Amino acid sequence: MPDTRGKNVSRRHFVRLAAATAAAAAGPLLRFPGGAWAQQARPKTLRIAKWAHFLPEYDRWFEGVLAREWGERHDTRVIVDHVPVEEVGARAAAEAAARQGHDLFMFPWPPAEYRQQVIDHTEIYQAVSVRHGNVDRLGHRSTFDPKTKQYFAFADSWMPAPLCYFEDTWATVGMPLGPLHYDSLRSGGQRLRAKLGIPCGLALAPSLESNVTLHSLLMAFHGGVLDEQGNVVINTGARTVAALKYVKALYEDAGSPEQLGWGPAGNVPAMLARKTSCTVNAISLLRAAEASDPAVAGKIRLSPPLAGSAGVMAVPHVTNCSVVWKFAENPEGAKQFLTELIDSSKAIYERSLGCNFPIYQKTVPDLIVRLENDSRGDPPYKYKELKDALHWTANLGFPGFANPVAMEVFNTFVIPRMFVSVVKGELGPEETARAAEVEVKRIAEKWKQV
Amino acid sequence: MKSIGRHAPAGVGVAVLTWGALLLLVLAAPATRLAAQTQTDAPESPFFTTFNPPAFDFNDAFYTANGINVSRLDTPGAARFGLFRKTGPPAPNGFVNWVVDNTGTDPDRNNVRILATTGGYIDDGTGAPTQFISIFAFLQDQSFFTGVANARGTQMADVVSNFEAYAALKQIDSHGVFRPTPCGTMGNGTTPCFPVTSVATPALRQDWRFATNRNPIDHSAPFGYFCDDILGMWIITYFWFIDTGFGPHQTAQCHQMLTALGGKNGLTLDGTPIIKTGDELNFLEGSVVGSNPIPGFLGTNPPSPACAAEGKEDTGGADGGAVWLVCPALPDPRNGAITLDAFLDQVHRPNGFPVDPALTVNFLCLQIFGAFCSELQPGQRAAAMQLVGKQQPAAAR
Repeated sequence: MPDTRGKNVSRRHFVRLAAATAAAAAGPLLRFPGGAWAQQARPKTLRIAKWAHFLPEYDRWFEGVLAREWGERHDTRVIVDHVPVEEVGARAAAEAAARQGHDLFMFPWPPAEYRQQVIDHTEIYQAVSVRHGNVDRLGHRSTFDPKTKQYFAFADSWMPAPLCYFEDTWATVGMPLGPLHYDSLRSGGQRLRAKLGIPCGLALAPSLESNVTLHSLLMAFHGGVLDEQGNVVINTGARTVAALKYVKALYEDAGSPEQLGWGPAGNVPAMLARKTSCTVNAISLLRAAEASDPAVAGKIRLSPPLAGSAGVMAVPHVTNCSVVWKFAENPEGAKQFLTELIDSSKAIYERSLGCNFPIYQKTVPDLIVRLENDSRGDPPYKYKELKDALHWTANLGFPGFANPVAMEVFNTFVIPRMFVSVVKGELGPEETARAAEVEVKRIAEKWKQV
Repeated sequence: MKSIGRHAPAGVGVAVLTWGALLLLVLAAPATRLAAQTQTDAPESPFFTTFNPPAFDFNDAFYTANGINVSRLDTPGAARFGLFRKTGPPAPNGFVNWVVDNTGTDPDRNNVRILATTGGYIDDGTGAPTQFISIFAFLQDQSFFTGVANARGTQMADVVSNFEAYAALKQIDSHGVFRPTPCGTMGNGTTPCFPVTSVATPALRQDWRFATNRNPIDHSAPFGYFCDDILGMWIITYFWFIDTGFGPHQTAQCHQMLTALGGKNGLTLDGTPIIKTGDELNFLEGSVVGSNPIPGFLGTNPPSPACAAEGKEDTGGADGGAVWLVCPALPDPRNGAITLDAFLDQVHRPNGFPVDPALTVNFLCLQIFGAFCSELQPGQRAAAMQLVGKQQPAAAR
């Protein structure tokens, strides 16, 4: 760049200088071919719909710092609307139907049903790969459509779903390390409720938490909704029935009627009030406890998912997947925002208090060190139980990819409704499994027509 | 096995005689009699180079560093070899399960060399009888874990949950009655139930299966057995045939499948089929697996209702039996890992013949020639086969 200090600058030089300065400022940033966003002369608007994080302070940072600063860098007014998790499905469906709304929609799960209303996100993954390497298995299998060979969404982070339990409570039945496997959850939970009157607190009523809990349980029981090829197998064989019988027995031996009435995230306040002995949840539960009642937080421990006949495995509590609608008014800005979002993965991890694990591992290279010595943890090594989380977490849709059938089953709460029906005694396990099979096959048939 | 003998060239017969004479000499030398076993070095076979060490128990410091409560381990219930169970099952009468041997050099091990070598099937889908583990101790509840993480920051209880040793307890009682459910927390509360307080060989209907193959690379587990499970521990998964699977209430579907599987794998002491692979068990439990593992059945639909079930004991100790084992698998059982004074712990029929002779033959090949049978010359293999049921002490007779 020529030295312009103390010199008269012609208009042509000024334009060149301004362009060079802008390019230098955005130097570390990646741009799409053509650099459409950079050529925009006047301020634009980027509208983002984002699921409301479990920790409100994270959303304040996301909107007030991350999005605002990005907007300043790109001469764009960024508007972030926070959508409660339980309203995400309806809001997204409404936007897709009306073909208008936000430019970017951030889901807490893979939005495979919208693959026809969204752009192919491959170019975002390609742009990010230059800086951060390839997307990991969880992100890939959560957002890739093997039929069209396109990515219907972009995954940037995720949350593990460990077991949270009270160490002192479980120690009274000889299990200070928690129940470890599903058989002990029932037998130990039974003794706990009989001894202390404290029930086991797995979420059952339809919600994100029960969806995650029960999909994980079904998977650990060697059951599933679809097989790898996408065939409906929810009632093929006897594993779904075995899982249904198990949950009914667990509820009767160690549960509580309150479980059936919980709303969204109802398992969290029950744990914080020590009304339950354990639950499956993201670590936002522990973070909330650390903020509100450190004494309670100190007694809560984490452990990997309970082992079942299929091993130790769970689905993510959250898979943060974003889509750029085809009808977006500012698609280039939305793509650029997502691309640069990965540059902030470290800040995202920190500002979410460790809830949001990076999809791109290299962005938080000292993740395990952080988990082993957490400044808020009591004891500080509490979170190291999550260091292998990527190995025990399977994508929604496992053993296949996250596809429209699997995600409609997830979003219409087929699995929680199935379990609750048996727990309430509305139908027997076999009848319920057959009814669920009919429902899933109807969904699968519908998507064959699309 | 039979086919090998039938189609072997004529020269093999001579080789068998030669090898047989040599084997008798070799095996006579380290006779593992009780009187001679207060302290002994590992006898080596003259037929191969020894470089794999036999199994020695871990020392107390290593157990402690890996989160195991040594004071609990050193109790009769845990039956830690070196302190307890010098004699008795799996060792047959006149034999011992372990000896003191001061030749070991591993800083993480002590001087208790294990002779009892339990055989089983590998869990990689083949069900090959190639796995050999050494019994160190039995853990009955969580008090065996200190809660201290190992040097890698991992709780051993979390690691071991991924590595299952599949135990098949006898379900036919002494009166010939089939018991379709385990007693204790794994059962459904009905009777008759079969006891779950011992996994000693006399309590088993078939040999074990060990998930040594699991690892994070193929996503079969978050950990690798030989990488992360450095104490070689297992969580015991008990599996059994339920009332629709066997006995008076057996369904026609289960009857057909069990008959077909028995024809393929042979029968257990109960008369039920031997289950060798994960797919076989999962399928009989009603799980959809990649392809139908039962011969004669097309399609992928498993039985419904199921024929079999599995479970794990209460980790609080409510069942009174073993929840976990410290029984490391031999990483490579060849070239000396199985010494001449070791003996095979496997399930035997009342007449003393092993339920699965293939396991016996593999053990003998490894013990005498330092290699799996499939790696040997026909004459060596045939010679080892001749010893089946003759040389090996039959623990369960």
